[in-house]
Amino acid sequence: MPATLNVEGAILRCAGDWTARSLGGLERRLVRLNLPGEGSIHLDMSGVRRMDTSGAWLLQRLVGDLERTCDSVGIKGLSTAAAGLLDLVRETNVRPGATPRPARKGLLERIARSSLGRVTHSIDLLTFIGEMTSAWIGQIFRPNRIRWREIVVTLGDAGHKALPIVGLLAFLLGVVIAYQGGVQLRQYGASIFVADLVGLSMIRELAPLLTAIIVAGRTGSAYTAQIGTMKVTEEIDALRSIGISPMGMLVLPKLFALFIALPLLTVYADIMGILGGMVMAAAQLDIAFATYIDRLEEALTLDSYLVGIGKAPVFALIIATLGCYQGFRVDGSAESVGWRTTQSVVQSIIAVIVVDAAFSVAFSYLGI
Amino acid sequence: MNTLAAPVERESVVRIRDLTMRFGHKLVHRDVDLDIFRGETLAIVGGSGSGKSTLLREMVMLQEPTSGTVELLGKEVSGISRAERLRLRRHIGVLFQNGALFGGMTVLENVGTPLREHTRLSNNLIDEISCVKLSLAGLDPEDGLLYPSQLSGGMRKRAALARAIALDPELLFLDEPTSGLDPLSADAFDDLVMELKTALGPTIVIVTHDMDSLWRVADRVVLIGDERILATGSMPELARSSDPEVMRFFQGPRGRAAQVSA
Repeated sequence: MPATLNVEGAILRCAGDWTARSLGGLERRLVRLNLPGEGSIHLDMSGVRRMDTSGAWLLQRLVGDLERTCDSVGIKGLSTAAAGLLDLVRETNVRPGATPRPARKGLLERIARSSLGRVTHSIDLLTFIGEMTSAWIGQIFRPNRIRWREIVVTLGDAGHKALPIVGLLAFLLGVVIAYQGGVQLRQYGASIFVADLVGLSMIRELAPLLTAIIVAGRTGSAYTAQIGTMKVTEEIDALRSIGISPMGMLVLPKLFALFIALPLLTVYADIMGILGGMVMAAAQLDIAFATYIDRLEEALTLDSYLVGIGKAPVFALIIATLGCYQGFRVDGSAESVGWRTTQSVVQSIIAVIVVDAAFSVAFSYLGI
Repeated sequence: MNTLAAPVERESVVRIRDLTMRFGHKLVHRDVDLDIFRGETLAIVGGSGSGKSTLLREMVMLQEPTSGTVELLGKEVSGISRAERLRLRRHIGVLFQNGALFGGMTVLENVGTPLREHTRLSNNLIDEISCVKLSLAGLDPEDGLLYPSQLSGGMRKRAALARAIALDPELLFLDEPTSGLDPLSADAFDDLVMELKTALGPTIVIVTHDMDSLWRVADRVVLIGDERILATGSMPELARSSDPEVMRFFQGPRGRAAQVSA
């Protein structure tokens, strides 16, 4: 039964359930209601069946509004329980319309804060890379400190478990390139060069890039989420308190594992991509497998292969570093884990593509 | 099974019959019968791992029991419609052990969430009511602007309590409300629970192993262990009990110390 209030001269007759669930309508009607502005007002609450804190608060607010202009405001017919609630909300130090609001920051302050945030972010990242490097150097001099078990476990997660998805996507990419290129090449009677097209583009550019992007989305995000959650549950602090460096325990094994896994995955992507091209060439352009492979031998040089494979370790370092760094930046809340994971993937992918472009420019400058 | 059965004519707001819970091969409790009466403060105690929290989760419809029935406010909860279940949930407030405040919202927004979800009140009024609840839970309305990660343990419990009472529930479940609090804060929290009880009059179910809380807050105590209810009664009754299982729990050094100070 919804809460109601009827104005009968100087008497306001209230009825219904004055509970949070049934107050919505009354609250909206109250502003439009023509409440008496002077004299002695009486609130007759005898029709009210039930009242909760929300109802008591609305009543208290109403009485407060009336008292500002009227000589006196009386309440009658209130049940003992409701009267108790009314006293209770009166005793709280909350005033109507005085809910705390977050302080609005000025435009200049916001610009300053955001710039400062970016600067500290860059410094933090550099510090993180520095700490990581020094921990790494420390481990080189004391190889017995290297955590082989963690490395092997991480290697499995990042490596062979990624084979199906990397293989499938590389194969399909090979198929697509062979199809798109083959259609053009056939017009010039140069169908056989589809082997050059697929082979070169896969091993030089696409396989490393594709693998890095998959790994950034699959493994980099997992690193951030894992370290971030460990930070929320204070596991990172626990490691520190036991005297285990989180760098040595969590970051370096991941870095090392990805450093090994990503080049290997790239080789696998090379093979699957070329295989995809080969299947498509046979199906669409009637190029026999043997012919395709013969052509491939002439087209691919060791240089091109090394150029492609050489980029993979660099990508691995970028993904692992950003993934772990973002994980350590998580603060306290579940939401922050989600936000940092997104950041880690987005930044890794952007960094990988930018670095890939830089490689291309450098290689063309060096004439490789 | 109930050594001291409460009078039957009182209205039970929670009625548990033959409740059995099993996780895989691990039996948590078997054939538990329990009545919780309107207006009382009932404490569920037992050793760690005795299934106190599981029992609470079954009562608040977060865990489906393996067999047996739970009746909340006169409605059996297994097999009721979603709408019915939702209606029941509006009459139940739960304070989780670690607060379980939503990390992405301010405290004020946390407290306002049930109101925003279940009522048609304006945002302004909801914020004001949330401030009232915060104040009832012993926090300053100004604290409402903080995020849960900025709160101390005691403040987090209070904020969580404010959220649990947002809709003036008839049934309030508190899971280890004083765990992780220093003795002073724990005492203050007990006082707060008793004040709210007098002011809002809900039936309160507390899961705890804080002996001082038991003496101060609980009208009736249920001791569980060995997969069943070992004893039911008021604290003085249980403290006098000669049952070895009960004595082992309440007559330890901590139990006696709490009795002396109570």
